[in-house]
Amino acid sequence: MTLLDFARGPALQAALMIFALGVVWRAVGAVLIQRTTDFSQPRRGTAERVAGGLRTTWSRFFVSEALEKRIHFQHIAGALWHLGFFIVLLLFVPHILFFESLLGFGWPGLPNPVILVVAAITLATLLAVLIRRMTNPVSRIISTTDDYISWIVTALPLVTGIMAGAHLGLRYETMLALHLLSVALLLVWFPFGKLMHLFLIWPARYNVGALFARRGVRI
Amino acid sequence: MTEPLTLGESLRRQGVSRRGFLGFCAATASLMALPPAMVPRIAEALERAKRPSVIWMSFQECTGCLESLTRSHTPSVEGLIFDYISLDYQETLQAAAGTAAEQAREEAMKANWGNYLLIVDGSIPTAEDGLYSTIGGVTNLQSLQDAAEGAAAIIAVGSCAAFGGLPMADPNPTGAVAVSDLIHDRPVVNVSGCPPIPTVIAGVLAQFLTFGTLPELDPLGRPKTFFANTIHDRCYRRPFYERGQFAESFDDEGAKNGWCLYKLGCKGPVTYNACATVKWNAGTSFPIQAGHGCIGCSEPNFWDAGGFYRALPQGTMTSVGAIGAAAAAGAVIGAGAAILARGKQKQTAETEQ
Amino acid sequence: MSMNTEAFAQFREGVNQLPEMAPPPAQMTDQQRVQAFKKTIVESIKAHQAVGLETCVHCGMCAQACHYFVATGNAKYTPIRKLAPLRRVYRRELSPMRWLVRLVTRDITAKQLEDWQELIYDSCTECGRCSLVCPTGVHIQDMIVMSREALANAGLAAAELRMMSTEQGEKGTMFGMGKDTLVQTIEQFRQKGLEIPVDQKGSEVLVVSSVIDMFLFQDTLEGTIRIMDAIGRPWTYSTCGYEGANFGYMAGFQEYRKAASMRVIDAAIDLGVKTVIVPECGHAYPALRWDGAAVYGKPLPFEVLAISEFIAREIKAGNLRVKPLAEGKTVTFHDPCKLGRMGGVFEEPREALDALGVKISEPDVNREQSYCCGGGAGNFLIKRAAPLRAQVWDKKRQQFDRTGAEAVVTSCDSCRINFSVGAQDTRWDKPIESLAAMVGANLAE
Repeated sequence: MTLLDFARGPALQAALMIFALGVVWRAVGAVLIQRTTDFSQPRRGTAERVAGGLRTTWSRFFVSEALEKRIHFQHIAGALWHLGFFIVLLLFVPHILFFESLLGFGWPGLPNPVILVVAAITLATLLAVLIRRMTNPVSRIISTTDDYISWIVTALPLVTGIMAGAHLGLRYETMLALHLLSVALLLVWFPFGKLMHLFLIWPARYNVGALFARRGVRI
Repeated sequence: MTEPLTLGESLRRQGVSRRGFLGFCAATASLMALPPAMVPRIAEALERAKRPSVIWMSFQECTGCLESLTRSHTPSVEGLIFDYISLDYQETLQAAAGTAAEQAREEAMKANWGNYLLIVDGSIPTAEDGLYSTIGGVTNLQSLQDAAEGAAAIIAVGSCAAFGGLPMADPNPTGAVAVSDLIHDRPVVNVSGCPPIPTVIAGVLAQFLTFGTLPELDPLGRPKTFFANTIHDRCYRRPFYERGQFAESFDDEGAKNGWCLYKLGCKGPVTYNACATVKWNAGTSFPIQAGHGCIGCSEPNFWDAGGFYRALPQGTMTSVGAIGAAAAAGAVIGAGAAILARGKQKQTAETEQ
Repeated sequence: MSMNTEAFAQFREGVNQLPEMAPPPAQMTDQQRVQAFKKTIVESIKAHQAVGLETCVHCGMCAQACHYFVATGNAKYTPIRKLAPLRRVYRRELSPMRWLVRLVTRDITAKQLEDWQELIYDSCTECGRCSLVCPTGVHIQDMIVMSREALANAGLAAAELRMMSTEQGEKGTMFGMGKDTLVQTIEQFRQKGLEIPVDQKGSEVLVVSSVIDMFLFQDTLEGTIRIMDAIGRPWTYSTCGYEGANFGYMAGFQEYRKAASMRVIDAAIDLGVKTVIVPECGHAYPALRWDGAAVYGKPLPFEVLAISEFIAREIKAGNLRVKPLAEGKTVTFHDPCKLGRMGGVFEEPREALDALGVKISEPDVNREQSYCCGGGAGNFLIKRAAPLRAQVWDKKRQQFDRTGAEAVVTSCDSCRINFSVGAQDTRWDKPIESLAAMVGANLAE
């Protein structure tokens, strides 16, 4: 079995299974912690509270005017990094074909040169984010090992993907194997670190939005 | 049996002009990425080449490799050269049969011991001590070992000999293996392909005849001259791949427009061969040009690589059901963890500080 | 300032002496402290907090929202960092992968808890601005509240707050003042000709006050009384449930919190009122409006309104008529965190100011995004945090200056104290007014 066969087969299979198991474990385990009933009189009815919660899941992508000047970097870098990453992940034709094999359906993609440019910008943004995390006083004081591991496992697929697609580095099928192995690594790490925010920000934002809506505060 | 004619004399006898002969040498030099200055040297070497003894042994094979090699619409120079090695044993082409043929082979081997070129096509079965393929009562396993002993070099022609090929596909009931799995003390050149392109064989032989050496090989033992690039990197449909224009089925607009066949299972990106440049049938066409994706036939395990019509990213042997089962297990564990946590919370609240 | 300057000086002096007056904290071993802290966290964490703790990505945006970080630039005040001990306990004891977490994470230590006292008390007013901006949805504010409770149980509540809440919880008094002070003050106002019902069963409305108003902000007290009289609904004070401030709530001592809240709740039930009015005291509002039912164990059998809510409602209903201020001045309105962002009361004070005919020049950030005054959650009592509050005041003062307003109006005693202290120390001459006082002083005849 070549490295590529291993990466495309058992490695990805095992990684996807660990990913599925871990993500659901962590999400369910957090969401089912005790709840208490709030007996205070809500200022808004149930429908408005649900609407408030849903609104917050969306509104948190944007920054309040109060904060805008102070968090330019975080907001722009965060948006650029995430958008770039998801464009590359979801609109590159080979990736779409992979998802099709899992989900049963695909969708249209973007031309490869566009993806390459987006990937390069995304990687540059990721580097900038790392540098900031290591130099900014607030980021430094709150950063943990998790932050750095998560950065590495996220950067590796980008780097190996760009190298494979642009024929840089080792032979193509080796780079492809390394790319798939780095994806497997990302999937395996995912449930255990902060990358879980992909799934958890939705209930979290909703909860905060609904709690504040209950008090009549629109956030 | 062998005639003491040199290669040059033989060619002239066949009516090949000096001009034609030099043209072939130039083409060969160019194909092997050798500088023009080498052409005279090739010509000189081929002119004076002693016709080397070549033993061709066929094991678990379909004869497709030989067919490819001998296929020619018009007498081609490759064919002529082929006639002018001393092919001392080849089951399909030889006139002799039975014990006479075996005897002829043994004599040729003895006479050229240490110097003959061994060509092998077909895989070698190893299960049950190799009884799944025998010739004259002798297993292929044994025959290979015997023939390899006195060979100067071995050329494994076709993906079966080079990598195990079709017989080795899952579940491999005969225990088929490649030549290089069995022979470790002789140089082995893998000329893979199912079948290989005729010109590729000729090029390897020409190198051997010219320089007495074997070509530079890639990590899988294939001549770099022909196997250094992927089909994808030399494919004329590459711009469509880059632009995102794909045929979605074999008779849709994309297919009719000659768009990229990636979505229809083309394995071009991971297949090293000369099909996209040298092509088949004297440069007429190759599978992609004919509208069918590359099946990766010059790569190991191409039969088990996920399916000819499953796109490269899709053939990952991923069982979606298993992933679903893992998610379900995660839900159970997570719920369990939460229930235990709740119990802990309740118990902690009830104990006195 | 429209308050009694002498009383204010006395008040500041009294606050200054609090640290010396505070009895020593309970003796606890390091292990006991850690156990007590952990116990509180384990039994209190709720699902939405668990999800929030799992989802933080350490982006640091919360720091940019926190007035303490903005004023000082010191990264140690980053809000999510204030939750570090709580988060560690959660991850080791309750998180879904706690068995794995324990392999790679050490337990909290008593030293860490001691170090965190100043972060949870001095440099956090539970204002909620961090919860407002967190992009992943961590509700940092209500976990700070839990951290205070946990630290209090570990014997590490800020000394001044511990003192105040013990006095209030056990004796029902604040600064030694209690029921007697109420009675005296009411007598004073009755001398002025005001009608002030006390302990009247069958009233519609119970008005809760605060010793702070009785001692320091009598303009607010008088304004409230005049407003209630003008509206004409049957209302009353209670000599049992008169104190809106709740130091147990602020410090994190649950039994003292409960004692203080139940005095008001019991009084309201005993008097059979439909509505309870909370005075202009920041924490008093959420203590009763949003968290009173938790103490009571079931829904409260009466509605709770801030005085500003009540004023606006009665103006709209036509029961309360005000006359425009003679000067037609420009004011700026400061939204108190506990009434605004954490309370939901934004429009009512503005409606009241509109009725008074004043022009409102809003601060550049207002309503739910308003910056905290810097001294809420009882922090105005913490002596060692004075320099910190001064830095926050600097920012607020600049904000007010930018509005060009002649006066600052607010509806919270805590904010008023903090601004007044800051104004006095920096010789800033604009008055800090109370909404209730303004309305009460400008009722139509």
